[in-house]
Amino acid sequence: MNSTTRHLQQEPLDLGALLQETQDPASGALVVFSGTVRNQFEGKAVARLEYSSHPALVEKMLGRLEQEVIERFGVQQCRIVHREGMLEIGEDSVFVVVRAAHRGDAFAAARYAIDELKQRAPVWKREHYDDGSIEYQEGMPLSAGPAGGSH
Amino acid sequence: MMGANDVVQIEFYGVLTQQAGQSTMDLPLVANATLADVLEQLAAAVPAISAYLPTTACAIDDEIVQRSATVKPGAKLALLPPVSGG
Repeated sequence: MNSTTRHLQQEPLDLGALLQETQDPASGALVVFSGTVRNQFEGKAVARLEYSSHPALVEKMLGRLEQEVIERFGVQQCRIVHREGMLEIGEDSVFVVVRAAHRGDAFAAARYAIDELKQRAPVWKREHYDDGSIEYQEGMPLSAGPAGGSH
Repeated sequence: MMGANDVVQIEFYGVLTQQAGQSTMDLPLVANATLADVLEQLAAAVPAISAYLPTTACAIDDEIVQRSATVKPGAKLALLPPVSGG
């Protein structure tokens, strides 16, 4: 893969760079999913979110997931990037960019990519609430996906 | 005398860092121990994380491994609790 953007980034995510990297004349559809930090969780006011990860595994797993999405849905391009560190309300925590010949495959592939990321990426979210309390979200048991066995 | 090769290096992630009160620790390694054996030993050494272990995935050398895997001396074992990315 000749991409330049890493899967895990400390700095704000750059959608423009991803769109540039994935430009593809055979694609008639572009779907972008962005996860953004929202100001509440289960009714509690959130001030900011802190993301931590296992960086080497994130790089490996998201790279595998991109390839899997391309093969499974027959799309032209799939890029997935995740942010790490302290994020303010409204900042982007994740981008999924899919380019495909047609919109149906592009929507389905992007949906699959974000759903699988949530189960497979070793990333942990910690809510910093307005009242000063800090809590890890419960999360779901890590799945290694079809490429790497399961736990 | 215990050398670097007689231990497994445990790395805690996510909520486990908070529960263990540290991000890494060394655990003495019994010869031919499986991952299940190491986790049992770890639960005894750090009781605060024992409730999380059934839902925790483990990686050795950046690959997810099964509980039946043998843990080699000097291995780095990453403990990955339920994830919440996105």
